[in-house]
Amino acid sequence: MRLAPLALMSAAGLAALTLPAAGAVAIGEKLQPFKLNDATGKTVDLGSLQGKKAVVLMFIATQCPVSNAYNERMAGLSREYAAKGVAFVGINSNRQESVEEIAGHAAQHGFGFPVLKDVGNVQADRFGAQVTPEIYVYDPGWVLRYHGRIDDDRSGTNVKSQDLRNALDSVLGGKAVPVAETKAFGCTIKRVAQ
Amino acid sequence: MSAAALLLAGVLAGQLDAAGVGRAVAAHRGRPVVLTLWATWCDPCVKEFPSLAALARQRKDVAFISVSIDEPEDRGTLEAFVAERRPPFPVYVRAAGPDQAFIDGVDREWSGVVPVTLVYDREGRRAALLQGEHGRADVEKALAEAEKARPRAKAETAAHGARF
Repeated sequence: MRLAPLALMSAAGLAALTLPAAGAVAIGEKLQPFKLNDATGKTVDLGSLQGKKAVVLMFIATQCPVSNAYNERMAGLSREYAAKGVAFVGINSNRQESVEEIAGHAAQHGFGFPVLKDVGNVQADRFGAQVTPEIYVYDPGWVLRYHGRIDDDRSGTNVKSQDLRNALDSVLGGKAVPVAETKAFGCTIKRVAQ
Repeated sequence: MSAAALLLAGVLAGQLDAAGVGRAVAAHRGRPVVLTLWATWCDPCVKEFPSLAALARQRKDVAFISVSIDEPEDRGTLEAFVAERRPPFPVYVRAAGPDQAFIDGVDREWSGVVPVTLVYDREGRRAALLQGEHGRADVEKALAEAEKARPRAKAETAAHGARF
């Protein structure tokens, strides 16, 4: 969980308004695999990915310009790393993006990975995910090793830090991820009304 | 004047890096401040823009600051948007630089999601961080909370002073 500096919170005197989403996961925390339906209605059990060398969970969108700027890179990385034993899974938590739209979007952009529909943004809340795209990388023991952006340049023309690739190479090489948490601008996940 | 400054001389207030955002907020010490970061490509941002403008027209006691994170290639879209809306607050644009340095420089608790609205009390302390879609009512509530905290802080200071 990303905790606020205590001094800042108490100085503000309004800590309740500044706390991160309840249930946000932290680096080093273990995930209990869950099940969700994919865009075709088929139930996908993340537990079935046991044995993979890493699992990449990606909160993505069909309408967000930032998420869409990464479609090609997500498809390319998933293809490249599938050969190395890594599973990629997309999760769509946006209330206004239907399963039909998600299926069409995935087909249009050649996603070789399933995109799961997170009805009621249950998993987004559980992870504390706020933006699209937002990435979580798990090692074979389902321990969170990386959380954040795909890379540091939305346009893709001036990437200086391949954060997701670096994280995967580290996990595959049995090394510590050099930068385990990163941030980038992104679209808000459109949640159901509270 | 640089080409970038000339470009901004029309409807936009100028370019700000994270430190500049901090200075812009600090310049209004003595008044509550509502700082919004947004982009023209962000639908919820565009949707909430009129309600923030309406609130700013009503709450003259509050300083409103708007900072667009639009990329340079979207500058025309941004200028047209601001020129058409004529908001009652300055609209700055983020200066070029690494995204994460800007995000953390504005507020370490900000995830990078837009829109984001930060409310500061009269002493310049950040009182609320509203990430994602929030309506006018949430901003008004945060402002009220920031104001409510103020007399209590003053009373505590007074009590402390009386005791010693």
